[in-house]
Order: sequence, then structure tokens, then C-alpha cells
Amino acid sequence: MANDTSFDLHGILGRLQNRREFLQLFGKGLGYSALATVLPACGGSSSGSSDEPLPPQTIVIPKASPEYTALKRTSFGPHRDELASIKTLGITNYLEQQLNPVDEPALEAEIASSFPLTLKSPAELIQDFPDNIFDVATQMIAATQYRQMFSQRQLFEIMVEFWSDHFNIHLVNGLGPTLKPDDDQQVIREHALGNFRDLLHASAKSSAMLFYLDNFINQAGPDGANENYARELMELHTLGVDGGYTEFDVKEVARCFTGWTLRFPGDPGGNYGEFVYVDAIHDNQAKLVLGNTIAMGGGQADGEQVLDILFSHPSTANFIATKLCRRFISDTPSQAAVDAVAAAFTNSNGEIKDTLRALFATADFLGDADQKFTRPSEYLATLVRSLAPDTGYPPDKGTTWFYAQNTLGQIPFYWPTPDGYPDQQSYWASTGGLLNRWRLSFLSFAGIIPGVDVIDVDYTTMLNGANTLETVVDTITDAVLMRPLSSDDRSTIVEWLKGELGVTEQELLPATVPEQASALVAAVLVSSVYFHLR
Amino acid sequence: MLTENTIAAHPDIPDDRDILVCIFQRGAADGLNALVPYFDSDYYAHRTSIAVPAPDPLDPLNLNNGIPLTNYFDTVPNGYALHPALQLMEQVYLDGNLALVHATGVPHQIRSHFSAQNLIERGVIEKTGPSTGWLGRHLAFSSPATGSAFRAISISGNVPVALGGAIEPLAIDNLNDFGFDQGILDSGYPQVLTDLFRNPIPFSGPAEAALAAMDELQAANIPPVNQPSDAGYPNTVLGGKLLQAAQLIKSNIPVEVVCIDSDGWDHHQNLPTYIGPSLTELAGALRAFYDDMGPTTGMQRITVLVYTEFGRRIKQNGSQGTDHGTASLAYLMGGGVNGGQVISDWPGLDIGQNEDLQITTDLRTVITEMLDKRLGGTDVGIVFPGFTVPTYVNAFI
Repeated sequence: MANDTSFDLHGILGRLQNRREFLQLFGKGLGYSALATVLPACGGSSSGSSDEPLPPQTIVIPKASPEYTALKRTSFGPHRDELASIKTLGITNYLEQQLNPVDEPALEAEIASSFPLTLKSPAELIQDFPDNIFDVATQMIAATQYRQMFSQRQLFEIMVEFWSDHFNIHLVNGLGPTLKPDDDQQVIREHALGNFRDLLHASAKSSAMLFYLDNFINQAGPDGANENYARELMELHTLGVDGGYTEFDVKEVARCFTGWTLRFPGDPGGNYGEFVYVDAIHDNQAKLVLGNTIAMGGGQADGEQVLDILFSHPSTANFIATKLCRRFISDTPSQAAVDAVAAAFTNSNGEIKDTLRALFATADFLGDADQKFTRPSEYLATLVRSLAPDTGYPPDKGTTWFYAQNTLGQIPFYWPTPDGYPDQQSYWASTGGLLNRWRLSFLSFAGIIPGVDVIDVDYTTMLNGANTLETVVDTITDAVLMRPLSSDDRSTIVEWLKGELGVTEQELLPATVPEQASALVAAVLVSSVYFHLR
Repeated sequence: MLTENTIAAHPDIPDDRDILVCIFQRGAADGLNALVPYFDSDYYAHRTSIAVPAPDPLDPLNLNNGIPLTNYFDTVPNGYALHPALQLMEQVYLDGNLALVHATGVPHQIRSHFSAQNLIERGVIEKTGPSTGWLGRHLAFSSPATGSAFRAISISGNVPVALGGAIEPLAIDNLNDFGFDQGILDSGYPQVLTDLFRNPIPFSGPAEAALAAMDELQAANIPPVNQPSDAGYPNTVLGGKLLQAAQLIKSNIPVEVVCIDSDGWDHHQNLPTYIGPSLTELAGALRAFYDDMGPTTGMQRITVLVYTEFGRRIKQNGSQGTDHGTASLAYLMGGGVNGGQVISDWPGLDIGQNEDLQITTDLRTVITEMLDKRLGGTDVGIVFPGFTVPTYVNAFI
């Protein structure tokens, strides 16, 4: 990486931590103790039946509907309106809509007004650099989370995240804060559902990428080229580590990209952050890349030729298809699914929509549900989208989400190495990963606890008059989980609440209790595997 | 409750086992500028603008020069010098508690960070072989001393590959946050989670371990530390992680293995500018931990291993950095280390062979010796399948 030490994440976190005292809020579960003080009608604490062990038995998690599975896999969490919509439209039509996303002028206006730095050019951002690092970073993170939570273009945002990981760039890394916003707009978001060849070429000329992987100082000379970009281009962006390249190819590709750099402040002929090819530092001798001769004197075309060789290589189709299947199906997708997606990629010359259509058409896409533990970004957005789908942007401008995301370990643009955040469930389903989700599940109390208004959870509407323990549990399950619980799990929750609240299953609950019980039920539901799996 | 000056391994851990702290330098740390072979003129020939200046006997206080080392069994300098940013490690070396193994690594022939890390952590040199980790398999071989959930822990949000195969290693990023409010605990909520994550529900393993660990942490009542410097550690990521390792060890929790990652070692450009801060962070954190544990007390039952996925090229590249190479440097710290020496069968700096520092001491030999002498014994056939240890390099007592 170009520069690992200038600005560390902890400095930024420390500043936010002091300002917002987030950890005090979320430290060990949001406000549960506070709830106890507002539950006057309710009895003792641990006197319920929860100490009785369940007998061992075979447990099957009831399946969700195919519509739910389709949404869970292609969005940042099923939204009740989208679930209604996909049931009306049919899964295929819904996905086709998502592949051709509508414009969202209101959302874009909100982004422009709340997170203006995310839309600025490098030349604009360098003016206030490095004083603006903190603001650029928080706005980039918050804008990403905002779109994930509130955009209707859910599949588009999923692909933005996918390509942001695929072409990963660490945001707060040297000049990164002045360059990555432009990469996000002009490379990732511009081509997220476009053509992979275009995306690859744009990334190679992205000033943020040129900086991050050191190609900006890759030059011909006696000490040799800088291999950083060349290696990751083949290993991570195109062929995959077993895609058939050699150490010789790494050296040759590095030579092809000598002279690919960016304009720095004060450079003549253009603006800071623009791609520029400098022939004077280019190695103009002939090269041999994957068996293809790159003739001498090619100049900038050397690199472009390499990109096209890599784009057309069958290993690239296979690598992209494998990663897409891993994202949308499971960590161990079937060879049939990978082959079908790779064929679509090849036959469409890298059209991302056609490639995704083939993926959605595989038997595994809907048939092999609940194969994967969601990543933190999805978990957090799903919390909002299921608990408070109509919530607006929180008064704290997303600071709470920032902390939650940090606790969960997946802050947008903060993965330091070029491989991007892991997309393997074993990485995320760790002891700490689970516990942090359980702690954040108490976000369900927002709106119940005075002063905690990061989301507006409206249990009264969700409850629709439900006023016994059983009907509260069932109603909140339908509203928040949108998939059926097993009878064992339902019974676990009901029995616990009986003890906690000192009531029976069917008695009428005192006026404010259903709402408060709902927050408890919701916390349990969003802690369970039902909520984490897709 | 053990006090600070008598800390050692938990009384339930057998006497023949040290606590192991494993630090993985992610990104392929350069060994040649960390432990400088200043006796070898080729070093200066190939690193014309990035080399660390040799120690100067006439100017011993020059902070830009390497810090010369002498082997404990010898009277003249051994030709290797610490990068000046590692100055804090000099005392540990002089105490006889630090050994440096140069030109070491695992002969996997891979130059991809991610593939090489995967191979090294799995303890194999080719893609085939077990998917579990070398350390996890050692832990599975060596019976648990206690029933603690804290037998093996990673101070991070995820379990590293090296620990795969151990029974539910913990991954805890922040000990102070790992738990619930007392009101939630009293409510019986953990039992609800226990029921909802009962076997064979997916992820019942980590869920059960998380709940057990929470109970142990609650009982241990580790006092929170606001920032690492309040406890004498550098306010860096690594400082904070080693502080947490120390807090665990000092509590009554019988931790046996701690894994920690150190990031940011991929210095393709401008090595002199960027490796200094990385080494400063490493040395500062290691030294704070060493002092905190006590050189003659706690450290007598602790072994620290610092290793990386591969080293970097002998010859600098065109941007004052170094690209991916082969052999590098490993650090061994602890009372059981045969310290105060550089362990190296120097291969020379002939750049004819891929411009690489050649591996002359297989890191697996060093690790096997460590597990054998300091971790209560091991089975090398399980830990490193297909590997036969030539002879130990006398790195441990």
C-alpha cells in the first residue's frame, strides 16, 4: 500500500468517540436497564422457565419464502414494502426492475446536501487536505450506509459494495481521501451494473488505484518496475491467484504499466488527480505477457493491451463468476452454477447485467437458501430496514451507524489490504462477531428509551392491536423477521417473556406493555440465526 | 488472585507449558532492513538508497545507524544490527530474552500475500493438505489444561487460519466491550440465546463459546483501561492488542494461546520512510508487554513469536521500495528463549536467484522446537504434515 502510517483509523474513531459517547450508549446493550424502570407493571427478572434445559432434538429452521430469499440475497435486508412488491411482481420481474434501476432524485439530493464531499473532485478535495480527512472519511462512510439503508436501488448498491471490495482501495491512506471519492463515483458506481471491461479499464486509470497500489511511481529504470499493481491486477482483479500467470508475467505486466500515473498539484496540462501517461518513464521495449508479445514502442497502449488480454482470459470469467456465486449463493457454490455464470460473462463480453441474470436463473439461487451468514453491513442495514423501514435519516447524521459498523468490523472503505473485506461466512461468524450482533440487537429499544432516537421504531403500528403475549410474539415475528419461527424457538421466546413480564400467554397485557414487550421480542429475533442467514 | 509481580501461567496450566503469544506481520515484512547484515557489502550494493547505515564505532550515539548486536556466547559484534527504530528491543536482547532468526521462512514458493499467509498458517507448503491451522492442530493434539473458553483467543474480530482446528477459538476485539449489561444478564437473556443457538442450529459452536467466555470475563472483572498509554503501552493498534493480551494473562483466566495481527508491512515504495514507524510500533508494543509481564517473572512463562508470510527482494525497486521476496526475519521473545543471539546460517546476498534472500532456516523447524520445548510437546507430523525437522537450531531452552 502506498502509505500505511500517516493516518490511522483509531485517531478518527477516538475523535468521534469523544464527541458522541457512542460506546456509552451501545456499550453492553442499549438501555435494557433503562427499560426496567419503565416497566412498572412487570414482575421479576430471572424467575422464568429459562433455566429448564431443552431436551435434545433434531432442529430444522423453517424455510423462508422464495421471495424472501431473493430479497435477502439481492438487498441490504428485506423491506416489508419490497416483500409486498416482489410478491405482486414475481421474482423475475422484480429482479429485472432492480437490474434497470430507477433514478432517485430525492435520495441524490439528500446525499448532495448531507455528504457533499463525496461528490467532490480530487482538485477540490486537495484544497483543504489534510484538514478535511476526517470529514471526507465520515461522509464517505455515512453516504454509503445511507444508500444501503434507504435506496430503492438495492441490487445496484449490493454490486457497488461487491466491486468496492473487488477493486478495494483503503480510503484513509496517504492521499486516498482526496482520490477515493472520485473512484467511487466514476469507477465503481459508474460501472457497477455496466460492463466489466469498462470497469477494469476505468479502475486501471483511477488515480485512487494508481496511488493505492503504487503504480503512480512505477517507472522504467535500472532498479526495475514496481510490481505491486501488476500482481494484484492479475491475482485479485482478473485471473485469480491460480489463473495461470507466472512471476515472469508479474514482472512483464509491471513493465507495461510503467509511466501510468496521476497529475499532482502544480503539474502542467491538467488537474490534480487526473490520469496521465508519462512516456519518458515508460519502458518501451517489447514484453511478453501470458504468451502474448507486446511490441516495442507501444507506449500507453501496452497497459491497455494487457487489460484486454486479462479481460478475455477464461480464468477471469471463472474468477468473477466464482466470486459472484459466493456472494449471491454460498461459500461453496456448485460447479454448474459457476459454469453457467462464467459462460454468460464470456458470451456477453463482460456485461454485468447478463452475468447476474444467469446467476439468478441457476437452481441454486432460490433453491439453496440460508447458506450464508450475512456480513456486518447487511446486518446493520437489515436492522434498520426491518425494524424501522420508514425511519428517516437519524438526527445524529449517521454517527451511530458509524460506531455500530466499527464494532462489527466492516466500515466502508477501511479494509487495509487490496483483497477487500472477506466474503466467507467463517470469517464473520466468530464469537466476537456474534456477540457484537447480540449487543447491537438492543437497537430495537430505540424509540422506547427516551432520548434514543437513532431510528424510529413504531411498534404500535406493527402490533395492530395485538395485546397478549402470544399475539405480540407472532405479530412482531411477522413484521420484523418476515419468515416463520420453529415452534421450539417461538416457545423459547414466549416462555422467557412469561417469566420476565410475569404474565401468562393469553392474558390481556396492561396498556404500555405490548409495545415494550415488542422491543424485547425484536431484540431476540434479530439476534437469532433466522435474521443472520441468507 | 495473582498480583502483578507474580504473574505467570495460570496455576492450572502444567509447568511445561508457556503461554504463547503469536504475532503475524501481515503484508510481508522486510527482514533485511529490520535486522541489517551490515557485514555483507552486497547489502549496500543492492540497496543503494534505502539501506540502513552500519553502526559506526566512532559515532555510537548516531541514531540513524543500525544498533550492533553481539551473541551472548561471544565478545565481538556478530555483524547484524537492529534498525534504529527497534532500539527498545536492544535491552530485551541484552537480557537474553530475545533471539532473532534471520533468513527464515517457509519454502512455499508463493508471492501472493493472501495465498502465502494461508499456506503458512495452515502449516503446509502446497495448496493440498489440511484446511486447519498449525496452531489449531497443535492445540487439538495437546490436551486442554482447563475447561476455559479462553484456551485460544485472537485479539480481533475473527479467528485466524492458524487457529483453525482448535475447539472454538475465541475472537474478541475488545475485552471491555465483550459482554452484556448486568440488567440483561439478570434477565435470563443469555439463556434465551443459548436455547436459540442450540446444536445443530448453525453457528451454535461460536455462540456457545461466546456465552461461556462472557461468563468467564464477567467473573474475572478485568478493570477497563481507557487508552493503552494509561497502562504504559503505545497508543497504537498493536499496543492496544498486546495490552489486552496482558490483561487476560494477568487476570485469573487460564489463557494458553493468544493470536494478534500486525498490519501494514507491504512497503513497495519509500521503504525508509514507512518501515520506521512500523518497527517503532512493533518494538514499543513488545517492550511494553515485556516490562508489564516482568522480565524475570511473567516472561519466564511466556513465549512470543513474531513472523510474516515472506520477506522482500534483496534489491530495491525503482521506487525506493522492495517487492515480494522469500526469506525474512522472525522474532522470539521470552524467558524460555535462548536469547541474546542472532540465529542465522547466512545465505549471502547473491541476487542471481530471483533477487531473493534464500531460506536457510526453515521456520517450521523453529516453531516445532518451540512447541516441543516450551508448549509441552507436540507431534510434528500433525502440526506440519510431511515435514521432517532437520535438527533444532537451539532457539529455546
